[in-house]
Amino acid sequence: MSGSDINRRDFLKFMGLGGVGAATLSGCDMPTTITLEEGKEKVVAYLAPEEYAIPGIGVTFASTCKQCPSGCGVHGRVREGRVLKLEGNPDALNGKGLCQMGQASLQGHYNPDRITQPMARKGGALEPVTWEEAWKLMKEKASGAAQGRSAWFTGTVSGHQSVLLSALNKAWGSKDHYVYEAINNAVGEAVNKSVLGDAAPAYRLDKAKVVLSFGADFLGTWVSPVHFSREYSKFRTGDRGVLIQVEPKMTLTGGNADLWVAARPGTEGVVALGVANVLLSKNQVDGKQLPQAALDVISQYGVDKVTEISGVPGDTLVRIAKYLNERSPSLVLSGESAHGHANGYQNAMAAMMLNVLLGNVGETIEASNSMAFDELKAKHGNSKAMLDFAAAADAGKYDVVFFTGANPVYTAPDHLAMAEKVAKVPFKVALSMFPDETTMAADLVLPLSSPYEEWGTSVSPYQPTDAAISMSQPLMKPLSAETKSLGDILLSMLKYQGIKDYEGFDDYYAYLRSELDGLPGSVKAGKDGDEFWSAAVQRGVIKVPTKAGSLKVNLGDVSPGGHQSGGDYPMHLIPSSNQTMYDGRNANLPWLQEAPDQITKIFWDSWVEMHPKAAAKLGVKEGDFVRVESDQGAVEAQVYIYKGVHVNAVAIPVGRGHEEYGRYAKGNGVNPLKILSSIVDGKSGELATHATRVRISKVGRSEELPRLGGSEVQVGRRLVNTVSADVFKRTEGA
Amino acid sequence: MSLKNILENWSHYRRAHEEGGHHEYEHMWGMAIDLNKCTGCNACSVACYAENNLPTVGKDRMRKGQGLHWLRMERYWDEPDLGGDDKEYQERGGSFLPMMCQHCNAATCEPVCPVAATYHTPDGLNAQVYNRCIGSRYCSNNCPYRLRYFNFYSYYEESWPEPLNMQLNPDLSVRDKGVMEKCTFCIQRIRTGKDAAQREGREVKDGDVVTACAQTCPTEAIVFGDLLDKDAQVTKLWKAQEVELGRAKQDKSDGELRGYRVLEGLNTDPCVMYMDRVREA
Repeated sequence: MSGSDINRRDFLKFMGLGGVGAATLSGCDMPTTITLEEGKEKVVAYLAPEEYAIPGIGVTFASTCKQCPSGCGVHGRVREGRVLKLEGNPDALNGKGLCQMGQASLQGHYNPDRITQPMARKGGALEPVTWEEAWKLMKEKASGAAQGRSAWFTGTVSGHQSVLLSALNKAWGSKDHYVYEAINNAVGEAVNKSVLGDAAPAYRLDKAKVVLSFGADFLGTWVSPVHFSREYSKFRTGDRGVLIQVEPKMTLTGGNADLWVAARPGTEGVVALGVANVLLSKNQVDGKQLPQAALDVISQYGVDKVTEISGVPGDTLVRIAKYLNERSPSLVLSGESAHGHANGYQNAMAAMMLNVLLGNVGETIEASNSMAFDELKAKHGNSKAMLDFAAAADAGKYDVVFFTGANPVYTAPDHLAMAEKVAKVPFKVALSMFPDETTMAADLVLPLSSPYEEWGTSVSPYQPTDAAISMSQPLMKPLSAETKSLGDILLSMLKYQGIKDYEGFDDYYAYLRSELDGLPGSVKAGKDGDEFWSAAVQRGVIKVPTKAGSLKVNLGDVSPGGHQSGGDYPMHLIPSSNQTMYDGRNANLPWLQEAPDQITKIFWDSWVEMHPKAAAKLGVKEGDFVRVESDQGAVEAQVYIYKGVHVNAVAIPVGRGHEEYGRYAKGNGVNPLKILSSIVDGKSGELATHATRVRISKVGRSEELPRLGGSEVQVGRRLVNTVSADVFKRTEGA
Repeated sequence: MSLKNILENWSHYRRAHEEGGHHEYEHMWGMAIDLNKCTGCNACSVACYAENNLPTVGKDRMRKGQGLHWLRMERYWDEPDLGGDDKEYQERGGSFLPMMCQHCNAATCEPVCPVAATYHTPDGLNAQVYNRCIGSRYCSNNCPYRLRYFNFYSYYEESWPEPLNMQLNPDLSVRDKGVMEKCTFCIQRIRTGKDAAQREGREVKDGDVVTACAQTCPTEAIVFGDLLDKDAQVTKLWKAQEVELGRAKQDKSDGELRGYRVLEGLNTDPCVMYMDRVREA
């Protein structure tokens, strides 16, 4: 318990002495904030208060946010038995801050469209059933599944849920656990693993003086945005670092760049080679760090050739190289828009080559210290898992599939025909909080409790220096008596399978207590079971020992890969991810639907971003509807025109256009993922999300854009003034 | 106050707040927002929705400008006549500006309220008394920052269908149709902080009160505190930037210091200081 020094017992004593009730409370020096809203709220009897209920006083409890895979620590403010507000947990990786997704995760917990009881498919439709019936169905259809004919399809999992999942799969003789995230860094991880021997090294933004990012939106959706925002704050203070962002559509990180560069989609690797070429030839950087094969490739990418392929002007390449050469250390990152191509791996490899050339490995890219308990580590999702699953389901490999924490029916492109392939699985179980597309396609739906109603442990996929287990604890009683935590359901299933190890545990809480009790003394720091548990729950994180990592450098082939021509489809489609909708999971949160997009300031709907020149060529103005058509289908949305998108590209945000998923999401906007072409990254097998080519046509309809604010510019009012970095360094530089 | 009086003593009225002495302030809550650190991520705005029972109004009403975002994140593009250049692309990114009520000490919204629903508190806050407000909207009309929001409808049923309503913060009311509302600097948190200090028999100290936006800010761009507290971080920031309350024009030793107040020339004397955005060249 933090945030209040009043102990519940003392408070009760005090109340007892005064012999007062709610009516006279306002007279004493306690906060005068007891509310009896319209007389409806019950007057709480002080002599027999409910747990947590200290009328008028908010108390904070630590837990973990599950709205995205980063797994930030939160402090939930609880008053009268309800959790009202979340803040960042200063002891966790994210520190004090929390992003808008984390803030809005409360609306997931209190969502009016949450599933409150089990449902089973009867005669085509999902109908409410009791838990007895649900377990009976599980017994009939699931537990009898033959060895190896079952699978799990989940989002990122970690901690003891992951342990139970593995145990369950083992019991059923299945190795198949598909871990899927539509927004991931899988291509980058593959390159990191290959070159450095560490899939997720520590990116030290705070140490860098120049950051060159090829589409890594580290302030928005890349890896661990809140953590990186805190690092960014240090990066921009004192001897202020320079941020250069190369991408086809301006992300939040791009919006904060000193130099934002639009490169033709898929040519990020070429730009990196061109920068290396300038560094070696013009800036006389020593190339001895690079293998001869890489130097040979680089020598072929002179400025003119790079400009021709990527559309990035020569003087811009020279400017980028100048920053990198003059300010050290630097850090080169690559993200979504560079990775999502047939040559995505090569793009990431070329970015890594710059890190090697500039000597950043070991400086701003450090070995991550991996945590000692392998079984608790995060299984971080990628999109290859979805492609593999689609193929396996299509081949009739499974009798039973369990879905949780992922919504492939919504995020899969139409060419995968995911709904049809899922339908081929005879018995599909969805363990879910919400009626999303995948859940509604299941045969049995088991209602999950929210992350703020359950006990749990988790481990963030990105833990750069310290390793920690994040604790989840209920911040309030479950809103619905019928929901169960994933841990409890897994434990019940294991017990049903007759696995001896789990028979002694009444529930997941008992299992967790016992597991944490069994942690080695070095973690428990001399505390006994109860004491250690209380400390862990109070702090929200358990720091655990790490194994020191090390980095090697083994640069692969840096040739940039071919660039496909569009043919009948001249424009590139950028299905951009942003923090408001993320991969679509936030679409049922009204705060985030109403929160204007960070760049375009559009709310409650989808839009198509176009460059003014492209818009003029097509003859459309802001608010006009256009049709964006690929070889897989078409979507229609309103145009937003600005200079933050490549002239040959259109960007449509991911996350809207749901066919299910409750009142706030359903029928609202369009889903650009549906029209993606069937292209994968050649090396990693990841879905090439940014490789689709489209043609644009006018629809002939127009409407005022749902956008915040009237003016895009300050019309001379100087609301935001800008000073140069030189001035900043002179007046405030450290 | 006759028209003649106003005209004759215009310069006195206009500059009266600079003379001081007409208020004994207990606190002067203020902010410093560093636009070098602010990334425009919008966490502050959503945190404000969560803390202050702000309703969501839906697409059509938002489009009509009826949204009730007490803290809105504005974004501007560079324009040629302000030093930006007319290149093919938006090379320097965007300009992000978190805008909430500036809690002006010479607030233009206060004198026009026919029922004194908007007034200045001894804490230096520009406060809104919902019970008094008759919805004339004069204050909103007079606010140069457009930071006052009117409840054109009752939102409490459609905005918080059960059980979303259970998230509502009982420390402040849910406003009904016909009432003007705006950022309060999280007055409920100020009250809680003051109550706690009083109970412990001490003065309110820096850090006792943090607004929802400042608390959630991942880059710590927003700093909140009492400008009368010499040791408060916010006071130090104001001092370092040589920005002072009660001055229409800041007299700085170094013209390149970054601190400024938005539309300072209007003489509204806001309690929110911003620090310039920074870009290479």
